[in-house]
Amino acid sequence: MILIHCPYCDEKRAELEFAYAGQAHIARPADPSALSDEEWEHYLFIRANPRGRHHERWRHIHGCGRFFNAVRDTVTDKFETTYKAGEPRK
Amino acid sequence: MTGYRLPMGGRVNRQTQLAFRFDGATYAGFEGDTLASALLANGVQLFGRSFKYHRPRGLLGAGSEEPNALISVTRGPGRFTPNLRATSIDLYDGLEASSQNRWPSLKFDLGAINDRLGMFFPAGFYNKTFMWPRSFWEKLYEPAIRRMAGLGHPPTEEDPDHYAATYAHCDVLIIGAGPAGIDAALEAASGNGRVILIDEQDELGGGALSDPALWPWLDRSVKALAASPNVTVLTRTTAFGYFHDNFIGAVERLTDHLADVPHGPREKLWRIRAGEVILAQGAIERPLVFDGNDTPGVMLASAARVFALRFGVAVGRSIALMASHDSGWHDIFALAKTGVGIAAIVDVRDAVSPDLLAQAEALGIPVHLGHSVIGVRGRLGVKAISIARNGGTGVADLACDALLMAGGWTLTVHLWSHSKGTLAWRDDLGAYVPDQPNENVRCVGACAGAWSFGDGAVIDILPTPKDPTRAKAFVDFQNDVTAKDIKLAVREGFRSIEHIKRYTTNGMATDQGKTSNLNGLQIASTALNRPVADIGLTTFRPPYTPQTFGALAGHAKGPLFQPTRKTNIDSWAEENGAVFELVAQWRRARYFPKAGEDMHAAVNRECRMVRSSVGIFDASTLGKIEVVGPDAAEFLNRMYTNPWKALEPGRCRYGLLLKEDGFITDDGVSARLAADRFHLTTTTGGAARVLNMMEDYLQTEWPDLNVWLTSTTEQYAVIALQGPNARKVLEPLVEGIDLSAEAFPHMAVREGTICGIPTRLFRVSFTGELGFEINVPSAYGRALWERIMAEGARFDITPYGTEAMHVLRAEKGFIIVGQDTDGTVTPQDAGLDWAIGKKKPDFVGKRSLARPDIVAPGRKHLVGLLTEDPNVVLEEGAQIVADPNQPVPMTMIGHVTSSYWSEALGRSIAMALVVDGQNRMGQSLFIPMPGQTHVAKVSSMVFYDAEGARLNV
Amino acid sequence: MSEGLTRREPVPAEPVSGRDVIVRAAAPMARYALRARQASDVEKLLGRPVPHKIGDTDQGVLCLGPDEWLLLAPAGTALSAGEGAAVAVTEVSDRNIGIIVEGPRASEVLAAGCPLDFDRFNVGRATRTIFETVEVIIQRAAADRFHVEVWRSFAPWLWTAFATVASE
Repeated sequence: MILIHCPYCDEKRAELEFAYAGQAHIARPADPSALSDEEWEHYLFIRANPRGRHHERWRHIHGCGRFFNAVRDTVTDKFETTYKAGEPRK
Repeated sequence: MTGYRLPMGGRVNRQTQLAFRFDGATYAGFEGDTLASALLANGVQLFGRSFKYHRPRGLLGAGSEEPNALISVTRGPGRFTPNLRATSIDLYDGLEASSQNRWPSLKFDLGAINDRLGMFFPAGFYNKTFMWPRSFWEKLYEPAIRRMAGLGHPPTEEDPDHYAATYAHCDVLIIGAGPAGIDAALEAASGNGRVILIDEQDELGGGALSDPALWPWLDRSVKALAASPNVTVLTRTTAFGYFHDNFIGAVERLTDHLADVPHGPREKLWRIRAGEVILAQGAIERPLVFDGNDTPGVMLASAARVFALRFGVAVGRSIALMASHDSGWHDIFALAKTGVGIAAIVDVRDAVSPDLLAQAEALGIPVHLGHSVIGVRGRLGVKAISIARNGGTGVADLACDALLMAGGWTLTVHLWSHSKGTLAWRDDLGAYVPDQPNENVRCVGACAGAWSFGDGAVIDILPTPKDPTRAKAFVDFQNDVTAKDIKLAVREGFRSIEHIKRYTTNGMATDQGKTSNLNGLQIASTALNRPVADIGLTTFRPPYTPQTFGALAGHAKGPLFQPTRKTNIDSWAEENGAVFELVAQWRRARYFPKAGEDMHAAVNRECRMVRSSVGIFDASTLGKIEVVGPDAAEFLNRMYTNPWKALEPGRCRYGLLLKEDGFITDDGVSARLAADRFHLTTTTGGAARVLNMMEDYLQTEWPDLNVWLTSTTEQYAVIALQGPNARKVLEPLVEGIDLSAEAFPHMAVREGTICGIPTRLFRVSFTGELGFEINVPSAYGRALWERIMAEGARFDITPYGTEAMHVLRAEKGFIIVGQDTDGTVTPQDAGLDWAIGKKKPDFVGKRSLARPDIVAPGRKHLVGLLTEDPNVVLEEGAQIVADPNQPVPMTMIGHVTSSYWSEALGRSIAMALVVDGQNRMGQSLFIPMPGQTHVAKVSSMVFYDAEGARLNV
Repeated sequence: MSEGLTRREPVPAEPVSGRDVIVRAAAPMARYALRARQASDVEKLLGRPVPHKIGDTDQGVLCLGPDEWLLLAPAGTALSAGEGAAVAVTEVSDRNIGIIVEGPRASEVLAAGCPLDFDRFNVGRATRTIFETVEVIIQRAAADRFHVEVWRSFAPWLWTAFATVASE
C-alpha cells in the first residue's frame, strides 16, 4: 500500500484514503457544442498510456476531499510529485 | 542415549515431558521441541510422501525452508491446519499430527506407483498429456490429478477461531533475529526511534540457537532488548511480504503452540509501516544434487547441527557427510563432539584446507576427497551410500544411517526481492546478493553476503558414472522436480528461466524455491552453456511462507465482514416479519408477508392497498445531497439535463444526470428549499458515485462557482406515504403546513413539523398515487413510523417493501437506473426526451447526445411489453427476437429489463430494451424460453393511469 | 398529536469495557457542516475564531479540508443558515454518531483498522480517515481519549469492531 502526499493536507497518507481519478490536465472544453465530432471524441475517450511518467488525478476522498494532480511512474509505481488542482502541469 | 535424544545439551527443557500423537501413534518429547525434533528423537525418519511421485520423504531442513515434512495438525472441529512444516510446529502436550498425501498409510502408499512410472511423468507431463478431449478435463483428469498429486486436504468445517489485525508504525523494522538482526536491533534501540524486531521462531537467536558458545551473548542481548521501552519484539511472527513504501505484512502466531486454546485471537496480522527496514533473514544451506538425495535420512548438514545442538537430538547413529563446502565439515565436527558416530566425510573437491583435514583426523573421521555420493541405499531410510571417485572409478559402499549435504549457502533475498531491490551475482559465494535498494532498506549479516561460512565449490550435479537419465536427483523436493526435468526443459527449447520455472514447476508455489532456486539455476546454466549471471533469477512472490486465510482476513469475518447498513426503521420491519434484500450495502425490506402469504400474495396485497387506500414505505436509503451557495442553481443547471434556474423555492423537479458520454447515470427528484439551497435525491446505490462526480466537476471544472455539496443521506429518515388516503393520514400529524391540493400541489416541498419534529415534507410520488415523502432527523424515523401506522390504522395502512415499490413504479413506466438502464442508454433511448432542456447551451453529456453513434438509427429503446398470454410473467434478462423461426444462434434484438405481475391491471407487464423499439409499437416480438416461446406486443411504458389523474387530487 | 417522539440510536447506551479501554456512545449533539472559501467567512458566521489549518480543532470546530469545517455543539444549538453569504451551512446532527474510545489502549483500538500513526497524532488534532472500509472522522480529545464520528448506518459495524478489539 503506497503512501501519497496530499498537497492540501501537506502530508503523506495511506493509499486507502485516496481514489484514483484518471488522467490529469484534460480540461472540459468551454463550449462543447462548438467542437467537431473528432475533437469531442478526443476529449472524451483518448487517454495516454505511458510507460513511465504519468500525469494523473487523485482524490483524497477519505481525507480532505480534494481532487489534486500527481506525476507517478507507471513502471515503479513511485510518485514524483503531487500538486493542487489548477496549478500548471509539472 | 534414549532413542536418538542426546544425553545432554540443547535448549529443550528436559524436566517437562510432552505427549503427542503422529499418525495415530503416541510419542513423547520435551518442552522446546518442534514436532520434527521430537519425532527424530523417537527415531522417526519418514515424515511424508512427495507431491507427484509419492516418494517417501524425511526432513531436509530444520526450519521454515523445510520442503518435505508437510504435516496436518488438528485440534478439534474446524481447527484443522494442513501443510504445516514439522520443523515449524512447536510441540505442546496433546499435539495431534498426521502425515499427508499417502493412502492407505505413510509406510505403504499406493500412490507410489507413480514413482515406478516416473519415466512417464517428465517435466510438462500434465501439459502434454491431458490436452484432449477437452470434456475429459473437468470430469476425469482434474479430479484424478487432484486426488493423486496434492498436499494436505483443506479443512471442511467453519473455522471457530478469532483473528486479530493491526497497523503498526516504527522507525526501524528488523526482520530476522539471528546475531546480525539482534545486533542491528540493539543499535537501533539505543536511538530514540521506535524499533520492531520480528522473528519467525519461538525464540530470538536464529543461527545462534545452535551455537552454544553464543548463548551467554544471546541471553544478555535478549534481556537488553526486553528492557528497551522503544523496542517491540515479535517472535513466532513471519514477515511474509514486503510492499511499497516500506509496508510489511507479518503474521504473529499467538496460540498454535499452546496446549489449551485460550480465549483470544489465534493469529494477528501486522501491517507495518517502517521508516527503515533492516533485513537480517540469513541464508539457507543448499542441497547437493545426486541420485537418491531425497531418501529419508538425507538432509542438510546445518539442519543436523540444529537438531543436535539446539534440540539435543542426533539425526543418526552413524552419520556421513557429502560436502562441497567447508561449512559441512564444521557441522560434522560439532556433531562428533556431541558423541554421535560419524561414518565418513565425502567431499567433491580434490583439496580442502589442511586445518579441516587435521580436525577430521583428530576426531578419527575417514575422509574421501575428490569423491561424490552416487547412490543411496534404503527406501524408507538411509542404510548405506555408494561413493565414487569423480572420474567414476573406485566405487565403494559405506554403511550409515544418515547422510548430510553441504552444498554451500543461498542468501535469503525473498523480501529484498519483494521490495524490488536488485540482485548481483557473486561468483565467490555462488549466490545472488542484494545490490541496489528500491526502498529505504538494507541487508545485514548472512543475507547480505556479509557472513563467512567458509569456502566451497559451486556444483550443479555431483559427478556420477551412472546413466543420468535413470537418476532421481532432486532439485525441488516439494514440487518433485529432478535435474533431468530441467535439462529436458532446456532441450525442448525453453531459454528463459521464468519459462523453465513454469514448465518444470521448480521454485514455485508455497516453497518459493528456498532450497531449489540456485541448484535449478546452475543446472539450467550448464545445459544452456551460459553463465548463471546471464540467466537471471525468477521472481520471488509473497508470501515467504504460507499463511492462513484467517490471518489475512483478520477481523473481517462474521458480523465484521462488511457493514450491513440499516435505516432507523429497519428494526420495526424486522420485528414485523419483513423479508429483506441487500441494495448496495443497505438492507431493505422487500415485502411484509402475513401468515400464509408467499411473496406474490404479499406483494399483490401491498400493491392493492397502495392503489386503494394508503401504503407506507421506508425510503430512507435514498441518496441525499444538500447543495448550498449563491451559485447552487447555476451548478445544478450545468449538471442535470433539464433547466433548474427558474425552479421556484418550494418546488421539486425530476433531475436526470448523464455522464459526459451522454448515458444516463442517475436520477432523482430534488427540491429547491431557498434561493441558495437545494435538497437533491439520488438512487440508493448511486449516492456516493453522484456526490463524487459532482465534486469532481465543482472542484476541477468550475472552481469559480460558490456552491458546496454535503451528503445528507443519513441525516434524514424518509417515510413515503402513498395512496388516495395519504393526505388524510398525514393531516392530523402535521403542523405549519397546509396540505390541501391547492396550497401544496404535486412536486412541491414544505418545511414544518410533524409530531413536533421538524420535517421537510415532499409531495412526490413514485407510485402514481397521491403521495408524500416525509423527511425527519434520522433518530426519529422509527418513532414517527409507528405514529403514522397508528394514525393510518383506520385506513388499514399497509407497509410495503421494495418489491411492491418496483411493481407500482413499473405500472407508471418510471425507470430504475441500473435496472432498466445499463450505462449505454441515453435519455432518448429511455423515452425521457422531455427531461432534456432543449434551450440549454450546455450540460454534462449534452455534446455526446449529438455524437454520430447516438443519433444513428437502430439504437435500443426502452419500451413496454405486454405478453399475449396475460398470465405469463417474463423473466427479467430474457432475450428478445423478431423472428422465432430463424436458425440458432438467433439475432437477439433486446432483453427484458423489468417484469412483474400487475395487480392493478390483472395481467403481467414488462419493460424491455429493444432495437428501434419506439418504432415497433404494436409489433409482436418473441421471447424464446426453455420449452416455450412467448409472444409479446410492444407498447407504451405507461401501463396505468396514463393521464395522471390519480396524482392531482 | 404532537407529543414528542423518542429518538432511537444505532449503538447501545451502555459502554463496553475491554482490557484497559472503554468504548461508549457520545451523547446526541448538534452538528453542522460549514463550507466557505475563507475561514474568515465562517468566523463571521459563527462570531468566533475557527482553525485555519487542516487537522486543527478549536472548541468543537474541526477543520477537515481547505474549505470545510465541522461544528460539534451541544444538542439543540441553532445556527443561521447563512443565506445570502458565500458560505454553506448544512445541519448533519443526525447523520453522524459519535463514539468515544478512552483508556490506555485507546490508540491501539483505533490502530487495529486505521492506517494513521497515532504516536504522531497530537491531542487536539482531527481528520477524516478510514477504519478498514468505513470512513470516519477521528479527533484526539486527550492523550487517552478519541472522539470518532461515523455515519449513522455504519455505527453498529464500527461499534462491533471497536468492542471486538477492546476485548482482545
